[in-house]
This record gives sequence, structure tokens and C-alpha cells, in this order.
Amino acid sequence: MNKIILWRMLQEEIRLNTSFASGKGFYSFPILVAISGFLAVMFTETMIADMGYYQYLEILHIGLMFYGIFAGSLAFFGNDFLERIFGYLGLIIGLPNTQPITQRKITLLYFIKEFVFYSFFTLVPAFIGGIIGAYYNDINLINLTKFSFSLSITFLSGLSFAYLISSLYRISWKTSILGAGTTIIVYIALFNDLSVTASLEWYLSNNFNFIIIAILIPLILSIVATLLITDYHEQAPVQMIGYQNRLQEYIQKFHWARNISDPAIISKERIDLQRSRTGIKMFFSFAFPLGILTFMNWFIDKGLPVQIDFNTIFYGVMVGFFGTMIYSWLNTIDNPHFYSTLPISVSDVVRARLVLFFTITWWIPLLFLTLISYMSSEINLLPIGIIVMITVGMYIVNYTAWSTGLRTNSALFDSIVFLKFFVVSVPPMIAMTILSLAIKYSLSIVLISLSSICAILALLSIFFYNRIEAKWLNESFD
Amino acid sequence: MSVIKCKKLSKKYDEILALNDVNLSIERGEFFGLLGPNGAGKTTLLKILTGQIRTTKGEAEILGMNIENNTMEVKKKIAIIPEQESPPSFLTPREVLEMVASIRKIDEPKIEFWIDFFDLQPMEGRVCRNLSRGQKQKVMLAAAFISETELMFLDEPFINLDPIVQTKVRDWLVEYVKEGGTVFLNTHLLENAQRLCDRAAIIHEGKIQSVIKLKDLDKQNINLEQLFHEIIL
Repeated sequence: MNKIILWRMLQEEIRLNTSFASGKGFYSFPILVAISGFLAVMFTETMIADMGYYQYLEILHIGLMFYGIFAGSLAFFGNDFLERIFGYLGLIIGLPNTQPITQRKITLLYFIKEFVFYSFFTLVPAFIGGIIGAYYNDINLINLTKFSFSLSITFLSGLSFAYLISSLYRISWKTSILGAGTTIIVYIALFNDLSVTASLEWYLSNNFNFIIIAILIPLILSIVATLLITDYHEQAPVQMIGYQNRLQEYIQKFHWARNISDPAIISKERIDLQRSRTGIKMFFSFAFPLGILTFMNWFIDKGLPVQIDFNTIFYGVMVGFFGTMIYSWLNTIDNPHFYSTLPISVSDVVRARLVLFFTITWWIPLLFLTLISYMSSEINLLPIGIIVMITVGMYIVNYTAWSTGLRTNSALFDSIVFLKFFVVSVPPMIAMTILSLAIKYSLSIVLISLSSICAILALLSIFFYNRIEAKWLNESFD
Repeated sequence: MSVIKCKKLSKKYDEILALNDVNLSIERGEFFGLLGPNGAGKTTLLKILTGQIRTTKGEAEILGMNIENNTMEVKKKIAIIPEQESPPSFLTPREVLEMVASIRKIDEPKIEFWIDFFDLQPMEGRVCRNLSRGQKQKVMLAAAFISETELMFLDEPFINLDPIVQTKVRDWLVEYVKEGGTVFLNTHLLENAQRLCDRAAIIHEGKIQSVIKLKDLDKQNINLEQLFHEIIL
């Protein structure tokens, strides 16, 4: 029975993905991953020469650890968003509601499914790409296989950690924070004088004990996570009554935006944002990548012989690009099907969400940037950082809105859409990052160059904004 | 005058032919039912007629306008109740009606009337996300009825409603049609169709199998259920 359920879960996962990305886009994703694996191996020597052998391997392991956590979070916390976007979504994981199977068992199978799915979807293609790269690069295949295996164990550890946090979250969010904190502290205490993961330590030292520890970590985390799951789980109570009727008030407030979108739509979206408490979730989802960024900053400072100081302008660029995430959050608050009953188009709703993005949600990136500039004693760079952040934010969010409409998350799963997004976003990001790092060498040249890029991005923002109507006017809300 | 006209309308989803050469003509002031088993193509046809999806072949005219070229113009003049109840999750029922009235630019919307009609007062201060399925369906109906349009498309509107509300809605719809409104009703609940419709079409595997006048059935001493079974089985 377990095999059948596992197999059906894998089929379900593939069908779910192909239902919101095109089949072609979905199936070409492993090819992109294989190319990345190929390039990673091809450029190994250059990277090692730049970063150092140990640092390069360590950064790959950190990357895989975060990838595992991200994939696990998406799996265990993502269904809530899927339901909001698509309406009711019946998944096999909900089987215990109607069939004689325990929640514990089905969740464990779901976890195994995640590992199998991501292994075949990303890890194996990356390994195949690596083997092709190794052919051209004279890298020992046994070493490559051993290192790939160590990376898989690290990925599994990240996935298990997310599984544990989701199980704790079913108890309460406080327990999940406490559990996450405790696990991280114990992990740091155990690995303080060793490599960042036990599997890397095994790869480097050839000490068999470390591979045992490396396998034991995800095993213990997933066993604990499974044991914590009970069959009687009630969602935390949500506010049931006491909502004030505020639509008319907001319609008046957004009257100024009537030429951009219908004030009633903007008001509805504004109320959604407030009552769903998405602002708080946006804030915390901002903290996570910025935390990684700060960590990387620290790591590069520690690992590289050359000192790199990321300044407020650099963070302005990064925070601006995270605008995509805020826009994507706005698309996950509520199912848009109701709009299909009214004389409005998808483009009206897209523009309403842009109004919200540009008027309501700026406080999150602004707060982060101000905090970062204050902590780095760079308040003098804050005005430039803010201008850069706003321009980059406008550019990337208008592009995201134009290219993905109301389905940002699912559209970015489509490798073709993702590739276009990559091409549009990465070159200006790299150019601005380099300029921000060069500011202490030639202020005037950097400022002129930054202003020029900002002007180009602003023009492109208008270009993308103007094309939203044509692209989404006749699109359905389904 | 025809308010709904379909000519050789077909719809394909990949290789599945959901609608196959559908021809229909519905007159102003008619209560028209589209009947059929699950998966027959009822919702697909309704979605095409309301501009939610596009045809693969053929064309449809609503109120004299080609739906695909005039989607917004048509949508202003029609009310739609989709198959699944989905009022905005984070708005209260009153806010939903206010939003509809504002988007449709209704000068004096009868918000109080519809809140009373559907007994939505106890739901004041609650957002739709926290309502039961039946309550959500009431909000959907109120949002459609407040629109005061001349043509209504209803997809299984009685699902989840208690018998008392069903009766109220049926009575209101009969009155609406008497006053000149037109109703296009998708349902597989034959009892409601028999009570309400002037004419009905039976659709099966994407094809209209028969168009009948309900009065004629009485003359032939056959009821809708018997005919339905005869055609489908």
C-alpha cells in the first residue's frame, strides 16, 4: 500500500507542477539544472583558485542545505498558499480526513516523496551535468560521485529540518521557533570545530564515522518530526467576528488612483492584505534572505583574502529586487475567481496590486534598508540607497507583474519564464553591485553610472507597465 | 429577440472535445435550463457565454454582441453565479455587495434589501472566509442579484442552500423573469428545472441532444426525469 501511495504522490506532484507551469517548461527544468551542474564542474578550477578549495566546497554545501530547507518549507507550508490561489485543492496528504490511514504515516510518505522528487528533478540532473563536465575537466569521477553523495545528504538534512519545523508548527508557532532555535544551537555546538556539514567532513577526512553521523542527522530529525504528528490537529483559531465594514472608507482613500485601476478593487486588495496579516509574513520572509545575505557577507569576509564590504547601496539593489517577493505575496492572499463574475479584467487586478505595492508595502524594504545603513554607520549613503532601491523595485515588480500576472509563484516554476526573469534581472543587478562596491574608489563616476542605470530601469519600468493591459486584458481568472 | 445565440460552438481542452457544434438561441424573458450529467459540458458552455474562456470554433452572441470581442461590455450587462461559491475571503458580506455595486456603478444599490432577503445580518462583522458553504452561496447570489442586470447566468445556484432559501430564490427568479429578465440556468437538479424553466436543452458529451418546451412535456404525459434518462442512458 505504501508503495502505491508514494507512487501516486509522485504522479500528483508532477501533475500539480505541470498544471501551473507549462509541461514543456516543467520538463526542461532538469535540463537547466544539468547545465548548471556542468558549468559548476567546468569552472571548478577557477572558483577554487579564487575562493580556495575548502571554501568552495563549503559554499556548495551551504547552498544545498538552504535549498533543502527551501524545498521543505515549500512542501510543508505551501499547500495553504495553493488553496488560496486555486481554491479548494484536494491532495493525497489530506487522505486521513476520509480514509483509515494515519496522518503520521501519510506525512512521512509525503516527506519521502519530496526527497525522491527533488532527487530526480534536480540532484540527479545536476550530477549528470557534473559527469559531462568532468569528462572535459579531468575531474576524478569517483571523487565527483562521492562529493555529489555528500551534497545529497546535506540536502536531505535541510529537508528534514523543514519537516521538523512544520511538525512543531502544527503544535504552535512558538514551539516551532523554540525547536528551530534549539536545533540550530545544538548543531553549531556539535560542529563548531568541524566542517559546516558532517557529510563534507566525511568527504574531506575520509573518516567513516562522519558519514554515519551525516546520515543519522536527517534520520533523527525526520523520526522526531514524524513522531510529533498526531491525528487530532486543529488549526490555530482565527478571528471570527468583529470586522468593521471599511470598504467605503478605502474606496474614498484610493479615489486618486481611479485612472490606474478601480478604487473598489484596490480597496478590496488593501483589506485582504490587512485582514490576512500578510504584512507580517512579508516582513519575516524578508528577514530570511537578508539574513542569508548578511551571513554570506560575513562568510566571504572570513573566507576571502580580499576584503569585500557590502554597503547600503548594494543592499538597496538587493532589497529592491526582493520587491518580486512582495508582489508575489500579494498574489497569494486570496483566490481571484470572484472577479470573473464582474466586468473587470485581470489587468485591472494586476494594476490594483501594483498600486498597493507602491503605496502600502514600501515600509518593509525601507525599514530594512534604514536598519542596515544605521548598523553599518552609512546613513550618508541612505538617500542613494533608497533611490536605487525604489528604482530597482519599480523595475523588477513591473516586469514581474507584466510577465507573471496574478500567478507569480507558479509562473516562475516554468523554466522558460524563469530564464527570461533571470536574463532581465541579473545583468542590472550585477552591474549595480559592482558599482556599489566601487563607490569608495571613484564616487563621481559611480554616481553618474548608477544614475544612468536607474534612468534606464525607470524607462523600462514604464515600458513594462504600459504592456500589462495588452498582455492580461483577455486572460481568464481561472 | 435572441439574447443568447450560439453558432456551431466547439471547445477543445487538449484532445478532449468538451463542446461539439453547439447551436442555441434563447429569447428575452425566457427561463432557460441547460441540463446534463456531470462532465457533459454545461459549465464550459456557461464560461464561454460569460466570456471567461474562449471558443475553439464557432461564435456566441450575447445581447447582440460577440462575446469574445466585447467581453467587458457584455459583463457589464450580465450577472454570473459560478459553479463553486467563492466570495472574497477577507471581506464581510456587506463589503462584498458594496464592492460589486461600486465596480458596476450602481447608483442606489439595494444592499439592505439583499442582506435582509438572504438573512445575512447575523453574518455582519464576519469575513466570508469564516462562513459556511451555504452562507457563502447566499453572498454569491446576493452579489449577482444586486447587479440588476437583464440577463443572468446561474451555474447550480441551489447547491448548499437550505430548502427555505431555495424556495425564496426560486420565487424571486420567477418574478424576475416575469418582469422581463432572462435566466440561463445550468443544473442537474431536474426538479428545479421542471418547476422553473420554460425551455430546456439536454447536453451530453458536449453535444446538445434535445431542446424541449417544458409545457409540451406535460401534454405528452412524460416528465423531465423520464426524458432525461431516455436521452442519457
